[in-house]
Amino acid sequence: MAMVEVIQVRKVYKRDTLAITVLDGIDLQVPEGEFVALMGPSGSGKTTLLNLVAGIDRATSGAVRVAGQDLSTLSEGALARWRSHNIGFIFQFYNLIPVLTALENVELPLLLERLSKKQRRERALTALKIVGLSDRAQHYPRQLSGGQEQRVAIARAIVSDPKVLVADEPTGDLDAKSAEEILTLMDTLNREFKKTILMVTHDPRAAERAHVQRHLEKGVLKAD
Amino acid sequence: MRFLPLVLRHLRKSWIRSVSTILALALCIFLFCTLQTFLLALNRNLATSNASRLVTRHAVSLVFNLPMSYRDRIAAIPGVKNVAMANWFGGSRKPGDFSEFFPNFAIEAEPYLDMYPEIGLTPEERQAFLQEPRGCILGPETAARFGWKVGDTFQLESFIPPYRVGRPFEFVVTAIYHPDMNRFPGADNTLMFFHHKYLYETTNRRVGVGTYVTEVGNPDQAGTVSKAIDTLFANSDAETHTETEEAFRASFIALAGNLALLLNTVGLAVTFTILLVTANTMSMAVRERRNEMGVLKTLGFSSGRVMGLVLSEAGMLGLFGGALGILLSLMLIRVLPHMPLIGPMLRGTPGFGLPPSLAAGGFALALGIALAAGLIPALLAYRARITDLLRQI
Repeated sequence: MAMVEVIQVRKVYKRDTLAITVLDGIDLQVPEGEFVALMGPSGSGKTTLLNLVAGIDRATSGAVRVAGQDLSTLSEGALARWRSHNIGFIFQFYNLIPVLTALENVELPLLLERLSKKQRRERALTALKIVGLSDRAQHYPRQLSGGQEQRVAIARAIVSDPKVLVADEPTGDLDAKSAEEILTLMDTLNREFKKTILMVTHDPRAAERAHVQRHLEKGVLKAD
Repeated sequence: MRFLPLVLRHLRKSWIRSVSTILALALCIFLFCTLQTFLLALNRNLATSNASRLVTRHAVSLVFNLPMSYRDRIAAIPGVKNVAMANWFGGSRKPGDFSEFFPNFAIEAEPYLDMYPEIGLTPEERQAFLQEPRGCILGPETAARFGWKVGDTFQLESFIPPYRVGRPFEFVVTAIYHPDMNRFPGADNTLMFFHHKYLYETTNRRVGVGTYVTEVGNPDQAGTVSKAIDTLFANSDAETHTETEEAFRASFIALAGNLALLLNTVGLAVTFTILLVTANTMSMAVRERRNEMGVLKTLGFSSGRVMGLVLSEAGMLGLFGGALGILLSLMLIRVLPHMPLIGPMLRGTPGFGLPPSLAAGGFALALGIALAAGLIPALLAYRARITDLLRQI
């Protein structure tokens, strides 16, 4: 069974009277446990497709099913709840909350769960341990390097044990060494923790770490 | 509560802005509580007025006295039940030193005490006062303030020229009145009364009457009797102006009606300004953190929860601002009665203090302002799409 199913999806943005088609009849299937890299030039619709799969945007037409759930049937509130349980999002610029420590940042998604403070702390520490940053739990984002920040962001993405990880240019803001560490970490999450990963990237070296590479061009997914 | 640390961290991060907003809100609540406390005290004072009592003074000004001969002529007007003379003496132990000031009046004892049951005296105390020409009655607060007891003697000197006779007036404390605060909750505990005759004779019969207090048999006739008194003395050397006791006090206490309007207008203007300041603060806070809100929504925070976080932040500002404002107001209200000039006046205002209901109102106002200020930014955060919020990177 496919973990991610994108069926005839179109996404059209309206700017004043202008309609811009960003995705035009996309079909994509990502089996459970797969690591897929989405590539393509800027403006090809990669991030838009990622956003649709992550449930942070809605398709103009077509269907997006993730973990067996048709996202178009969910209300905004239900979609938010669904995201918190099923999707881990990794941003290019990490997007950690600057006023919170690494541990508190990782703990953030767990605030939405019915967990005690102790349980939240334990799970957040476990996630930090997985990404190899348990010793930096009390550090603020400004006290971490870019690579460390991204690892904290990955810990935040996996802390609620989602089925799918979506990553938007996760190495785009990192030096080669840090990028390599992040990709290795993502590989581990895919292999050992069986996470299905959909990663948008410009970087061919990053794409090589994925099992499957798909290319988008002008809103259309090119044939394999 | 789970989200409280996040809210507090944000407030702490922009601490200059947070502190400024809290101070602005505190100022607003401080003004609200303090001004309203004054107004309440003023209203309480006016509420002690009796609808059946009229006050007649010189039509030109209180400065001028009326002839003593008016007394019997007023008493003869149909509907009048009782008439008493009363002069504000303006006496003090140290003339000109307003820190020592307390209100003292020369009264025509028997009819005056009949008209003012709030001056609670036992028959023995009343008799003792009536029998002692230099006798005086003191309010319990004034007696306690100066440590005067029944039988003590003390001297006062007036700053009003006609009452200055080259030496102080000597008084004997014959009674300390105890008003029934259940019946007369606004009764003044700081007054002093002595015999008008003593004033008249000590000044070599030069002084007249500052005011005539008239009691009417039926309060509904107050208007008719007032008019009759003023008509009686129209076109005389000393025309009169008669009004109800409440109107007299209101005009005497700096035109209380207009004062209330002025104080309320000032309060409203300040409140509105603070609302704008707080709204600006919250707008800035939300605008700066659009990206963060996008992240929170991406993590699964519902739009309602994000809106709640913004409102919580605003509410927290209101909470701190309100608490600080009430605290400052409480401090000022406690200190004011001990200040020179205004202190003696406030000590004479029974129960002058910040009522808990007013403090609660101030607190609610602070929260209300803060939440109202945060509402639009919170709604914007609620309605914003995640992709738009994240695009701000």
